Amino acid sequence: MGAAVQPAEASAASTPVADAPGRIARLRAAALVLPGVGWLVLFFIVPLLLIFVVSLGSRDALDRITLANPSLDNYAKAFDPVFIPTFLNSIRFATITTILSLAIGYPIAYWISRYGGRHKVLLIILVMLPFWTSYLIRTYSWIILLRDNGVVNSLLQAFGLTSEPIILMNTDLSVILGMTYGFLPFAILPLFVSIDRLDPNLIAAGRDLYASGRDAFLHVTLPLTMPGIVAAALLTFIPALGDFVTPDLLGGPGTTTIAKNIQELFLAGRDWPYGAALGFVLMIVTLTGTLVALRTLRREVAGGD
Amino acid sequence: MARERNRWLSAYALIVYAFLFAPIVVLIIFSFNKARRGLVWQGFTLDWYPKLFSNGELLDALTVTLEVALVAVIVSTVIGSLLGLGLARLRFRGRGATETLLLVPMLTPEIVMGLSLLLFFLQLFDAHGSLAQLWIAHITFCVSYVAVVVRARAANMDPRLEEAARDLGASAWGAFVHVTLPLILPAVIAGGLLAFSLSFDDYVVTTFNSGVGSSTLPLYIYGKIKFGVTPEINAISTIIVAVTAIAILIAWRAGAFDSGPRRPVADEAAT
Amino acid sequence: MTDRHDGSSIDLEKELVRYMVEHRISRRYLLERIALVGGAAALAPIIAACTSSGGSASAAPSSAAPSVAASVAPPSASPSPTAQPSPEGALNILNWTDYLADDVIKSFEDQFSVKVTQSFFSTTDEMYQKIGEDGGDYDISFPISVDVPNMVERGVIAKLDKSMLPNIVNLGQEWANPGYDPNNTYTVPYMWWTTGVGYDPKRIKEEPTSSKALWDARWKQHISMLDDWQEVFGLTLIQQGHSANSTNTAEMDQALALLEQQKPLVRTYSTDTIGTMTSGDVWIGHIWGADRFAIQETIPDFAYYIPEEGGVKGSDTVATFTGSPHPVAAQLFINHLLDAHNSAANTNLIYYMGPNAAAKEFIDPAILSDPTINPDQEIVDKLEELLRLDQSVRDEYLSRWQQLRG
Repeated sequence: MGAAVQPAEASAASTPVADAPGRIARLRAAALVLPGVGWLVLFFIVPLLLIFVVSLGSRDALDRITLANPSLDNYAKAFDPVFIPTFLNSIRFATITTILSLAIGYPIAYWISRYGGRHKVLLIILVMLPFWTSYLIRTYSWIILLRDNGVVNSLLQAFGLTSEPIILMNTDLSVILGMTYGFLPFAILPLFVSIDRLDPNLIAAGRDLYASGRDAFLHVTLPLTMPGIVAAALLTFIPALGDFVTPDLLGGPGTTTIAKNIQELFLAGRDWPYGAALGFVLMIVTLTGTLVALRTLRREVAGGD
Repeated sequence: MARERNRWLSAYALIVYAFLFAPIVVLIIFSFNKARRGLVWQGFTLDWYPKLFSNGELLDALTVTLEVALVAVIVSTVIGSLLGLGLARLRFRGRGATETLLLVPMLTPEIVMGLSLLLFFLQLFDAHGSLAQLWIAHITFCVSYVAVVVRARAANMDPRLEEAARDLGASAWGAFVHVTLPLILPAVIAGGLLAFSLSFDDYVVTTFNSGVGSSTLPLYIYGKIKFGVTPEINAISTIIVAVTAIAILIAWRAGAFDSGPRRPVADEAAT
Repeated sequence: MTDRHDGSSIDLEKELVRYMVEHRISRRYLLERIALVGGAAALAPIIAACTSSGGSASAAPSSAAPSVAASVAPPSASPSPTAQPSPEGALNILNWTDYLADDVIKSFEDQFSVKVTQSFFSTTDEMYQKIGEDGGDYDISFPISVDVPNMVERGVIAKLDKSMLPNIVNLGQEWANPGYDPNNTYTVPYMWWTTGVGYDPKRIKEEPTSSKALWDARWKQHISMLDDWQEVFGLTLIQQGHSANSTNTAEMDQALALLEQQKPLVRTYSTDTIGTMTSGDVWIGHIWGADRFAIQETIPDFAYYIPEEGGVKGSDTVATFTGSPHPVAAQLFINHLLDAHNSAANTNLIYYMGPNAAAKEFIDPAILSDPTINPDQEIVDKLEELLRLDQSVRDEYLSRWQQLRG
C-alpha cells in the first residue's frame, strides 16, 4: 500500500543528483506521446488549418470558395445574436446530458466494479452492445416508444396514470432522453475504469474512519475516482455540444442547436466560409470554457488529474 | 449491510440495463414487421431476413463498415493509449499544449472535421474518398477518446512501479509489458470499445470521405430516409446484436473474461 | 428478374410489327424518324426494348428502309448505335438509396458487361459536396434541375453525346427543351414532383384545400413542415400571393412573420416525411407528392393535395461529369434510363413521375391515374418551380430561416 503515496514524488526523476534520468524520462514521454501528437497534427490540425483559411475567404458568383479578399468578416457575422438561442440550447442539452449521464452512470459503474466479479468485462461489453446497431434505427425505436400512441403513453394510460396521450416526442424531454441514452456508455466506461482501479482496502479504511457510508463515499471513494469523473464529463459534454442529429431527429421547433446552424450554413447555405467561422467561434468558446473548468477542478481536487 | 446495499444497487443496475436495451427490443420486434416502410406494426413476417442476404449493397456496406472500424479501432487504440499514458505519467514541456490538442478533435463539429478532411485529401492528394481515407478519418476522431480514458486510469497509477520493475532487472519493454500494460489494460479495452461504437455509427465525417466502393452501413441507411427505411435495416441490426451476443457468450464460457485476483499482481508486490 | 431473351431465333419482322402496334407507332412515323435521326438511332430503342428488362419486343426489321438493313446487327448484338466506343466495364453511381430499380441496374450490367457500384447520400447538398468540381469518382448522379446551370457554368457537368442517346425520343414534349438546360444539352430529366400538403383523413375529418390548413390551431402540435428553407418560404410566399422565388425582402419579412405565428403549432420541421407522417404524431404536414404513396402503405387513405393558392414543382436530372472515369458507360446508362420500361420501373419503385412519355404504358395504373402524383398538364403549368437564387437573396432567406428556427 505504501506505493500509492504522493505522485508528486515521481518527479524525483529530475533530482539534481543526476539529470540523465530526467532526460530519459522526457524522451520516454516523447516516445509515448509522439505517435498520437504526430497523427493529430498531420490529420487533424493541418486539415483544420485549411478550413481556417476557408473561413477567411468568401464565395464567388458561382458559389465557389474564393480567397480573393481574405478578411475576418465571417467572424464578425458569426457573433450574430440570432445564434444565441441555439447556442444556449446546445449548452443546456449538453450540460443536462452530462449531469444525467454521470448521475446514472456512476452507480452502475460502481455496481459492475464491486459486484461484477468474474463477469465484469462481460457486463461492460453488455453496456456497449446496444450501440453496435444503427443509430437511426435506435432513434426510430425511441420514436416508437415515445410517440403519442407509443409504448410509454400506452402504458401510462393502461395504468390509469393519464387519460390522454402526453406529448413526449419532439420536446426537450425526448432530446435529453435521446442524448443521455446515446452518451451513457461514454460516461460509464471511463467511470468504471477509474472505480475499478480503487483499492478495496482504501474503501474499507474509509468506512472505518467515517461514521456513515455516505461520508466514506464522499470523502474517500469520490475523490479517488475524480479522474474518471472528469474523463466521463469530458467525453460526454464536449461531443454533446456538437451533437446536432439527436436534437434534430427527436426534437421539435424549439430544440435547434448551434451545431445544426453550422451544418446548415455549410450545406443548405452553401457558405463554407461563414460556416467555418461559426464553427471556429464555437470551438474556441468551448475550448476556453473547458480549459478553465479543468484548471479550476484541478486546483480544488488535490492529486486529481 | 453490504448485501442490502447490493439489493438496491442491483435493482438499479437492472433498470439501467433495461433502459439501455429497451430500444433494442423494439428494434428487434420491428425487424419482423410486415410493413415495408413506416413505423407502424402491420403484422409478422420473417421475409426481411432472407431479403437482406440477397441485398448485395447492404452486405457490402456492412463489410466496409467493419473493415473501417477494425482498422480504426486497432490503430486509434494503440496510438491513443500511448498518448494517454504519456500525458498521465510523465511531466514534460508542452504537456498543456498536448492536452489541448487532445480535446480539440472532440469539440470540433463533425461537419467541420468531415469537410476539412475532404479538403485536405482533395487539395493535397487529389483524392476523392476511399477506404484508406476513411481509415485515416476514423482513426483521427477516435484517438482522443481512447487517450482520455487511458489517461484517467493511468493517472492513479504510481509511475515508480515501472521504475521498480526496471531496478529489479526488467528491460524497458518488459517493464512496460508486464507492469504498465496490465494496469492500464481495462482502459485500453474500454477505449477500444468506445472507438468501435464511434466508428461503426459515424455518418457526417464518413459521408464526405467515402468514395466509390467505400459506402458504409450508416451511409446506406441514411440514404434510405428519403424513400423509406425498410425493416431490412432492423434485421441486419438484430443479426449484428445476435452474432455479437453469441460471440461474447462463447468467449465468456471459455473463460476469456475471468479477471482472476481482484487486484493486479503489481499492486500486491508494491504493498 | 424478368424474361431474358437469349438472342437466338426471333422472328424479327413479327416482333417489329408487334412493337409498332403496342406502341402505336405507325409505319409512317417510323420512316419519318429514320429520316430525321438516322436508321440506327430510330431503331435502337426498339432493339433496346428487346434485350432490356421488358423483353416484350425485339426487332431487326427485314423490310424497313434499305438504308437501315446494313446497320442492323443480329439480335444478340448490342442495341446501341453502331460505331460507338465500347463501355469501360464499370460505372459509379451516386444517389439516394433505392432510387433506381434493381432490375434496371441488373439489366444494364448484363447487357453491357459493366459492373455498377452505387454510393449513397441522404441530402442533395451532401451530393453536391461529394461531386465537387468535376464529379469526384462518380459517373452518374442526379442533380436538381435548378442547380444545373450553375454546375454547367462551373464546368462540373459534361456535355451529352446525343448520338449515344437514341432513347431520348421517349421524353415527353414538354421536357424536350427545359429552361434550365436548353435542348437537354448537358442533362436529361429524371423525375419530377410536386410539393403540397398531406393529411390523415381519420384525424382531419374534413377536406382542406388550402395551405392555410397548416396554420390551423385545431391541429396544434400535430403539424409538420419540411426542414427546407426554400420549400417552407416558398409555400408561405405563395399563400400570401407572392412568388415563391421572391427577391423582395419586405415580402420575405411578411412570410417570416406568418411562419413565426405558425411555429407554436408545429410539431417538427423534418424531411423524413414518411417517418414523420406514419408515426401518428403528425396529422397534417408539408410533404412531397410522391411520399403520399409510400405513406399509404401504412395509412391507406392518406390524402394529399396541391394548395389552391398554388404549389411548387421540381425535377431532377441525370448527369455525367467532366471528371467521370467511365464516360461511355455513363452515356449508355443514361440512354438505358430513358428506355420506356426502365423509366416505368423506376417510377413504380419510388412513385415519382418521370418525364418519359413512352413509359406511361408501363407505369402502374394506380400511380398514373392518381391526380396528385400525375396531375393534369394545366395544373402542372400553374405550379411554380423553386429556382436557384442569387447568393445575396439566399443569404437573406437563410438569416430569416435561422431566426425562425432559433
